[in-house]
Amino acid sequence: MISHDEMLDNVAIYALGALPPAEAAAVAAHLQTCAECRREYELLRPAVTAAGASAQADAGASPSPLLKARLMREVRDQTRTIRRTPMWGVYLAAAACVAFAIGAVLTNLSLHNRQAQQSALISDLTAANAKHYRFAGGEVVVHDGRLYIAMHALPPPPAGKVYQAWTLPKGSHRMTPEQTFMPSGSGPTIVEVPVSSATVAAVAVSVEPLGGSKQPTSKPIALAVL
Amino acid sequence: MERVRARDADAFEALYDRYHRLVYGVALRVLSDAPSAEDVTQAIFMKLWTNPSIFTVGNFSAWIVRVARNRALDALRARAARPEEELPQTLCAEDALEDAALAQIDAQTLRSALAQLPEEQRRLIELGFFGGVTHHEMARTTGVPLGTVKTRIRSGLRRLRAALDGVVSV
Repeated sequence: MISHDEMLDNVAIYALGALPPAEAAAVAAHLQTCAECRREYELLRPAVTAAGASAQADAGASPSPLLKARLMREVRDQTRTIRRTPMWGVYLAAAACVAFAIGAVLTNLSLHNRQAQQSALISDLTAANAKHYRFAGGEVVVHDGRLYIAMHALPPPPAGKVYQAWTLPKGSHRMTPEQTFMPSGSGPTIVEVPVSSATVAAVAVSVEPLGGSKQPTSKPIALAVL
Repeated sequence: MERVRARDADAFEALYDRYHRLVYGVALRVLSDAPSAEDVTQAIFMKLWTNPSIFTVGNFSAWIVRVARNRALDALRARAARPEEELPQTLCAEDALEDAALAQIDAQTLRSALAQLPEEQRRLIELGFFGGVTHHEMARTTGVPLGTVKTRIRSGLRRLRAALDGVVSV
């Protein structure tokens, strides 16, 4: 039989999580009946939490952004099995904006070709079997081997900067530069990346100097692992 | 958490953004190995998504700090072929300071408060929390009598609590 002072010491060790299971069970049972020990436990527990929280990683030592991308892909995949693709309506309703967004890359095409490409793009984005890899502020859409980056309400980049798409080829550790682009105004900005989706492991977007970069010079604002 | 329970992926993403450095930092401190700490972080958040009922009521910050610690210790023990424990259910006590401490104080301030403890107290607290070491093992490995180990831990936690009271308006 231990004294009450010893029990109070044990309560501290219990709060720290450093008691062997049998002794922890004895303290847990005692806490149910002893108000003084319960007060001590409730006094010390925040200190234990604070000791643990002191290990919080600084911003520069955070886990890889790929971890979040992997997690969110799984989460989004699971939610997609529950509800219909929520962006369908947005893309259909924003068809005019999509047309505007792709206008820049289609200016040299005939009106007929432009309409055909526009139809194909909307068809890809809204296809029932399209795969959607979401990130904060947008998503990568893959359909029939084609790959699109859809950014919702993308703000203008800083002066002298553009947005640039990047792809990570499967089996590679170096990002490949893709095209630069600017926001499309009020609607979503849609960019078709001219690569086969089958060869791509990840897609990213970063802010780069005008003309683009050969290697990313800033942290990605968007990252999706396919 | 209510929105996460309702399968709201955006809410889950916000939860991850808010807590991932805390979970990862605790796991990294326990494991001293970034890939393993990432594995633990991923496992915890995936478990939260697939089974959000593992957290019921109470202080989420305090809960996830302990989950991160316990999961990371499980990963260490797995190397010794010990079975994994289930994620713990929510802790019973409510404490306004605990919320306030984590919401208002950055990790650097918490580290400073911890660093102000006498070395012999801080070391035992860190051994117990991050090392998963029992007080018996602490006494054995440090050569400090068991009763002294207990007293130092309790005194250290009380000092740390007082230091928190000094910087948090509750």
